[in-house]
Amino acid sequence: MEGLLFYILAAFILVFSLAVIVVANPIFSALFLVLSMISLAFMFFLLQAYFIATVQLIVYAGAVMVLFLMVLMLFDLKKEIDIFSSGQRLGGLKIASAGLLTGLLLWSIHYSIGLFQLQPEKVLDAQGQMEQTKTLSVILFTKYLFAFEALGFLLLLIAIGVVALSRIKGGTHARD
Amino acid sequence: MGSDILEISINAIKLIVIFLLMVQLVPFLVWVERRGSAFIQNRFGPNRVGPLGLLQLLADAIKFLWKEEFVPQKGRAFLFYAAPVVALLPGALAFAAIPLSVPVYLEKFELFGQTWGPYRIAIQGYELGIGIVFVLDASSLGAYSLLMAGWGSSNKYSLLGALRASAQVISYELSLGLSLVGVLLLYQSFDFSDIISAQVGPLSFFFAGHDVKVPFLPNWGIFYQPLGALLFFAATFAETNRLPFDLPEAESELVAGYHTEYGGLKMLMFYIGEYGHMLVASALMVTFFFGGYHIPFISIEGVRTFFLDHGFSLNGSNLLTSLVFHLVFLLKVLFFLWVFIWVRWTLPRFRYDQLMDLGWKVMLPWALCNTIVTALVLLVAKEARF
Repeated sequence: MEGLLFYILAAFILVFSLAVIVVANPIFSALFLVLSMISLAFMFFLLQAYFIATVQLIVYAGAVMVLFLMVLMLFDLKKEIDIFSSGQRLGGLKIASAGLLTGLLLWSIHYSIGLFQLQPEKVLDAQGQMEQTKTLSVILFTKYLFAFEALGFLLLLIAIGVVALSRIKGGTHARD
Repeated sequence: MGSDILEISINAIKLIVIFLLMVQLVPFLVWVERRGSAFIQNRFGPNRVGPLGLLQLLADAIKFLWKEEFVPQKGRAFLFYAAPVVALLPGALAFAAIPLSVPVYLEKFELFGQTWGPYRIAIQGYELGIGIVFVLDASSLGAYSLLMAGWGSSNKYSLLGALRASAQVISYELSLGLSLVGVLLLYQSFDFSDIISAQVGPLSFFFAGHDVKVPFLPNWGIFYQPLGALLFFAATFAETNRLPFDLPEAESELVAGYHTEYGGLKMLMFYIGEYGHMLVASALMVTFFFGGYHIPFISIEGVRTFFLDHGFSLNGSNLLTSLVFHLVFLLKVLFFLWVFIWVRWTLPRFRYDQLMDLGWKVMLPWALCNTIVTALVLLVAKEARF
């Protein structure tokens, strides 16, 4: 039963993720990304990682992607699409950066196996789900505190950087 | 799922019944909304069709079914059709996770010439240990139906309504979630059943080495988290897109906002989604701050022994007890639904900048403040028991 569900969900995730990059219309692309996020959340549910699953839903599907969709709908995207898809010369660079990203992801997956093993063989009841959440928050605020705070700071930097970039000459929010 | 065929079918039927409960509340609420608004504005309201105008709803339903079916010429047909269906999902998913009454314990009994084992049937679509976060998830997906409707209609009014809707939902979701953190800290659980069972009996808690007891008040969450309750209730108004936060449809500026191009049954589905959201918001309000399905000063055992003393069998009295507590729950929920309607016909709509100011500059800081104060008080009242 669970095996079957796994394959169905995996197929959903693959199809939706592929659709994200294949579909031409950015709105549909974003909607497919939402669907693949939701499928991923259900995959976490299947793995009994209930807290991660709900956080995945609430943060990515519920908040981040709504924002994405809103921004996509606000702007006239024709120019951006032209700039982005005219990459005959830059094609090699794009493929190279995609390869780099894939390598990075594979590396991090390879080295993080076994990092978050929270009583894997136990079937979790309501109490267990609470315990799992507790364990997760404790290690997040003790062992991985520095990484956690550093990531938060990085996100802040990115936000400021984006604001700065969008206001320079030729940007979307340029001051004349 | 269940241990045998009867339990599985009971659980399956339960899901359908809970969904139908949400859908069937809509015509009734529409009637209350119309009659209530007429009452508030010193008019009559619909009073011609049937007694008290109750059959007006039936006439409306028939009208909705026979409306012409169309898609705007340049609209995206798939999104246009999908949006009303998606609008139903958040309310239905969230409502099924809320416990509606006392779980029923059934002893062994005979049915269809067979003995069926003892069951425990929760009056709830599905029991989740992290129910609260799940409900917040489900309702956060509500913005998509508005966005899809706005984009699929390819109408400027619809698009503007959709954009406003998503900005509003994101802004108020923050204060909605934060206003509940106090409750989570207080009861130290994500489970609705734990929170409800912690609100039984008279108001009593353990603070800084003293047992405090107030015998004339019930042990409800509102007395511990008054600010949290206020913020939560205000944020749910924004989440359900009801007045004074109904900027997404704002009929005086945007015709009808995101559902300008919709008619007939599709329009009705948006209504069901909106009233479903209201129902979930009221049910959450009751569950977190007003004792859930419990009756103040009357215990579950008391009601059960009352039925047992009046000659009902054990299973019968268990069922009746559950029914009584379910009716009490519905009564409390209906009160908050009435507050939703009452506010709609009392307060004017916010201007857009006022809406954003209220969300980001007033409610968010107060919700943060509530969280910190609750945490500090809990730290001071070491080993606090509620």
